[in-house]
Amino acid sequence: MKSKLVVLSAVMVLSLMLAGCSGNSSSEGDDGTVTVWAMGEEGKMLQDFSKKFEEEHSDLTVDVQAIPWDTAHDKLLTAVASGDGPDVVQLGTTWVPEFAEAGALLDLSEYMEDHPNFAKENYFDGSVSTMEHGDEVVGIPWYVDTRVLYYRKDLLKEAGYEEAPKTWDELKDAASKLADRGEGSYGLDIDRNDQITPFIFAWQNGYEADLEEGELNFDTPEFKEAIKYYTSYFDEGISQTQQGKDIVEAFKEGSKPMFFSGPWMINIINDQAPDLEGKWATAVMPSKETNTSSMGGSNLSVFESADNVEGALKYISFMTEVDTQMDWLEESNTLPSRTEAWEDSRMQEDPMYATFGKQLENTKPGLQTEQFERIAQELLGSIERITEGGADVDTELEKFNQEAQSLIEE
Amino acid sequence: MKQFKNRHPYMFIAPAVILLSLFSLIPILIAFVISFTDMNLKGLADWSSVTFIGLENYIALFSDSTFIKSIFNTIFYVLIGVPLVIICSLSIALLLNYGTSKLFTTFRAVYYMPSITNIIAVAVIWGYLYNTEYGLFNYLLSLLSVENVPWLEEPTIAKLSLILLAVWKGIGINMIIFLAALQGIPKSYYEAAEMDGANRLQVLFNVTLPLLRYATFFVTVTTLIGWMQFFEEPFVMTDGGPLDGTISIALFIYKEGFQFSEFGYAAAGSFVLFAMIILVTVLQFKFRKSDTEY
Repeated sequence: MKSKLVVLSAVMVLSLMLAGCSGNSSSEGDDGTVTVWAMGEEGKMLQDFSKKFEEEHSDLTVDVQAIPWDTAHDKLLTAVASGDGPDVVQLGTTWVPEFAEAGALLDLSEYMEDHPNFAKENYFDGSVSTMEHGDEVVGIPWYVDTRVLYYRKDLLKEAGYEEAPKTWDELKDAASKLADRGEGSYGLDIDRNDQITPFIFAWQNGYEADLEEGELNFDTPEFKEAIKYYTSYFDEGISQTQQGKDIVEAFKEGSKPMFFSGPWMINIINDQAPDLEGKWATAVMPSKETNTSSMGGSNLSVFESADNVEGALKYISFMTEVDTQMDWLEESNTLPSRTEAWEDSRMQEDPMYATFGKQLENTKPGLQTEQFERIAQELLGSIERITEGGADVDTELEKFNQEAQSLIEE
Repeated sequence: MKQFKNRHPYMFIAPAVILLSLFSLIPILIAFVISFTDMNLKGLADWSSVTFIGLENYIALFSDSTFIKSIFNTIFYVLIGVPLVIICSLSIALLLNYGTSKLFTTFRAVYYMPSITNIIAVAVIWGYLYNTEYGLFNYLLSLLSVENVPWLEEPTIAKLSLILLAVWKGIGINMIIFLAALQGIPKSYYEAAEMDGANRLQVLFNVTLPLLRYATFFVTVTTLIGWMQFFEEPFVMTDGGPLDGTISIALFIYKEGFQFSEFGYAAAGSFVLFAMIILVTVLQFKFRKSDTEY
């Protein structure tokens, strides 16, 4: 409990000192080492995976540092402050605007021609907007993910649905029928801490932000209606408000037969609920105006203070080759960012991947502003006040709109 | 060369003074300066974009409903948690002081264990205990046919749940201090009391507790400061939710500083907390009665 206060200030002082040191150390760069910061599980596997790159470029060695996701943000902050970052950094797509705005990422525009893999037309539309910051190119999509609907085929059949629900109305209808099965049963599980889900509903309802004009449009009927639809699942008891059982456990026993999630869930369900094989499937998002889902995943960027820019570019170019991406898919189960990779027969034939491929054609990334994290947290707070605290939807959303608008005007 | 005559004492305190200023005083000063700026992530990378905004951060803090809420939550934690910790650790220390056998030594370790257990491990275990659907607490209550208690899902109950956890974790260290103080009380006082024919309760209230006054004061001051910086428990268990019901001032500062990179705003928040802690501590020293020497 103690000295948490001092930590903040200590970080600042340390970073000042480090900033002083880094000026000297960068001069010794270009020693043939490419330092890479990668997050989470991927980071752990990446060192071994990079051996192939080292074989191709015998003059370069790769040094991967795996950083757990939950400390990654802090670690990047210190790197920005001290100017002592890696050469290549993996950035979650929602973090791109924040770090780009801080000037921490190198503008890659001038290198685009030398590295054909970087070209924008290689990537999904949803990814392309995460590459850009203003007129700079600040990152290259490495892998993507998006949310799709996971559902229990057998249980939906009992509720009269041969196929996954295709529209909002069908989703609501199917979910309410499933929730009516009895005590402890729910229809659709919505992760209340997930910041992108409310936006997914809003996009599906035709909501769009106009960030160039500084208009977040949270006061439009499209947005409000979507949030009302979202909260109605909690109000009507179709979705559980409490934390409850672990989703895999609940999916297995059937108490939560539908939920939205990303590609990582495929393996988790296969591993933890092998009995379910054949009883579940994935489907693209049910649609209202559109069936837009989120564009997540990670980009690879070059740090502003990189010692070995040339090596970093070669490394990113290698990681975004179609063949590398297919190998990486096998290794780590993350989805390739290159559209070309999706034309591979493996991606087309596997029904699970096919769903994702289809969904990826219609995705949007989180709002490309450095305040996105803050805005999303505010929205989750407002939603919580509506569903738990019994606040009025309209007044709460009005308050949220003003709050969010003032955040981006700062 | 007169000033070097007495250099030896300074050399002895030099390591402590240097470390203290490097890691405490200077950071505090810098944070104080930062609290008057609009320092954020951009400013961290490029110093020229930082501007002085005077008291704006402080004014904004007091119109920020989350901050106000965090102050009330912290007061709630302190008012319930601090007396609870002191009473519990004192009574356990008194009980453990009665016996001297191996069993009592073992129990010292048992009560001390939580305070040295890693907070993440604690969070995982207590997360299971508090789970509404399959948690042990609700299972035990269901045996007594009590309805499911939403341990961490209703603002007030969640606050109390966190206090319970923090008390469990905080007893150990204070208990050790009380035990040490208890064992420092000269036997002659008890012998004198026995000769006067005092019963056990009279001995407790007229000999033991008054002689523990200094230890109690120390424990009160440190515990109070610790609880005003209440952070780990809500950070790992609830992240401030539900409905900001468990957010404490320290957690608010952390979130502003590291989640949203608003360093200036967070620094301002930390100085409000700093001022509150100084105030409370000075008040305690003021109202403290002079010690009985023994």
